[in-house]
Amino acid sequence: MALLGTLALVATACGSSSKSSTSSAASAPAITIGAQDFGESAILAQIYKQGLEDKGYKVDVQKLGGFRDLEVTAFDKKTINFAPEYAASMLEFLNGKKGEASGDVDATVTKLQTYLAPKGLVATDASKAVDTNAFVVTKATADKYGLKSLSDLASKGQSLTLGGPADCATNAFCIPGLKSKYGLDLSAKFKSLETGQVAPALDAGQIDVALLFSTDSTIKTKNYVLLTDDKSMLAADNVVPVVTTDLGSNADLAKAINAISATLTTQKLIDMNERYDVQKDDEAVIAKDYLTSEHLIG
Amino acid sequence: MGSLHAFFTFLGDGDHWVGPHGIPHRTYEHLRLSLTAIAISAAIAMPLAAWLGHIRRGGVVAQWMLNIGRAVPSLAILAIVFRVSLQWGFGLGFWPVVPALVALGIPPLFANTYAGVAGVDPTVIEAAKGMGFRPGQVLTKVEIPNALPLALAGLRVASLQVIATATLGAYVAFDALGSFINEGFRQQDPGKLLTGSVAVALLALAFDGGLGLAARRASPWRRIDRRVTTADDPIESV
Repeated sequence: MALLGTLALVATACGSSSKSSTSSAASAPAITIGAQDFGESAILAQIYKQGLEDKGYKVDVQKLGGFRDLEVTAFDKKTINFAPEYAASMLEFLNGKKGEASGDVDATVTKLQTYLAPKGLVATDASKAVDTNAFVVTKATADKYGLKSLSDLASKGQSLTLGGPADCATNAFCIPGLKSKYGLDLSAKFKSLETGQVAPALDAGQIDVALLFSTDSTIKTKNYVLLTDDKSMLAADNVVPVVTTDLGSNADLAKAINAISATLTTQKLIDMNERYDVQKDDEAVIAKDYLTSEHLIG
Repeated sequence: MGSLHAFFTFLGDGDHWVGPHGIPHRTYEHLRLSLTAIAISAAIAMPLAAWLGHIRRGGVVAQWMLNIGRAVPSLAILAIVFRVSLQWGFGLGFWPVVPALVALGIPPLFANTYAGVAGVDPTVIEAAKGMGFRPGQVLTKVEIPNALPLALAGLRVASLQVIATATLGAYVAFDALGSFINEGFRQQDPGKLLTGSVAVALLALAFDGGLGLAARRASPWRRIDRRVTTADDPIESV
């Protein structure tokens, strides 16, 4: 971790020398955004980076791995002081999977704040963009079994196999949730796969139901049928920036962050993810186009 | 200390010792995959190495080419093979992992078998020829028996690497000991993580020990040497 910290310092130093800051930057705090190892996190980090740079802040992005442990440690070590997060998942991570997250975004964020405060962190305004678990089947499977919702899956799909990342087995919004809310136990028919391999396995017919993220562009491009969560198992995984309290107490900065968050929607995330996943565009370019089209920079 | 406590709690739970996700079944699956990969590696590497060692030609070039299998990360091989496997209908789990492990198993098996056969003392081979051995007999009755201890040492190295790397199968739905590690990481469960790590390490060490014993048995002259030396000592001192 010491090494990571040093690298971040070096990165910060390099960043500050190469950028000419404008306007209100005189007493502006330096910001380092932690990005996780999937496209959406990289895009969001770039959106906040470029959006805040336009307001005169010095911002760097620190790439982290795919685990919240790393992100929380990076906050502890002051390697980062900003991270785009997901309300319900972050809450359930910090509370040790107590099941306090719900479909109500305000209640979920309020609860999240109580766990962030002791760590010297605070959540800024939650956006309307939601990235939660999405259970999808191919059109052929949906037609064959008559599947439209997770209730349909519970009544007609007991024999189907589910594929998804390994944490599904214990994730409250995956296998345990399906069991308690829908009475569907897929634990014996679960195939644990790396995130990027789930859709290919579904296409190849090796699994019947795939666990993807709701903002995954392949749902649209591959014409998968998204099974609706008719019993409200899934929680409010709205995109919400988490920052250190000293950044959060800076009124100008908080206003600038919230102005960006306010423009985000689920559909906009899907569109940006499609550019990243399908067209292989660079996250910095995607973010710049987004900020321009939302009139946040320029 | 929390991890250690979680480890023993995990081991103490009877549920973790039964069913398809239990420790015994996952150990069996891990062994099944590892043994298949080792057997295929040996079937490819050893005859080729024995032949090239016998004619004492092409060993360096072959070794250089086979080392590519060791140089390319196993995870990359797995990722590439997995896509092909889906297209060709080999499915998830077992078969996509085998090529990655075979690529890792072949180089040490080839290197040691080749060195063993090519390194047999030329005077021994001359003696065998002088006694009327045909080239084939020289290979089967002189070179291979002499190469066996080194070849078995290669098998030990290959087995250690294959058993440890077979954990990658967890990425493509192969339910074995690697699954404990993958789940432990993803689910932040130190008990699972340690269970998987310790089980794989024990399995690899058990294999290594077993093959070490086999290698001793395969070279009886070493034991005879020792007996002869001790028996000779008093005579020499007279």
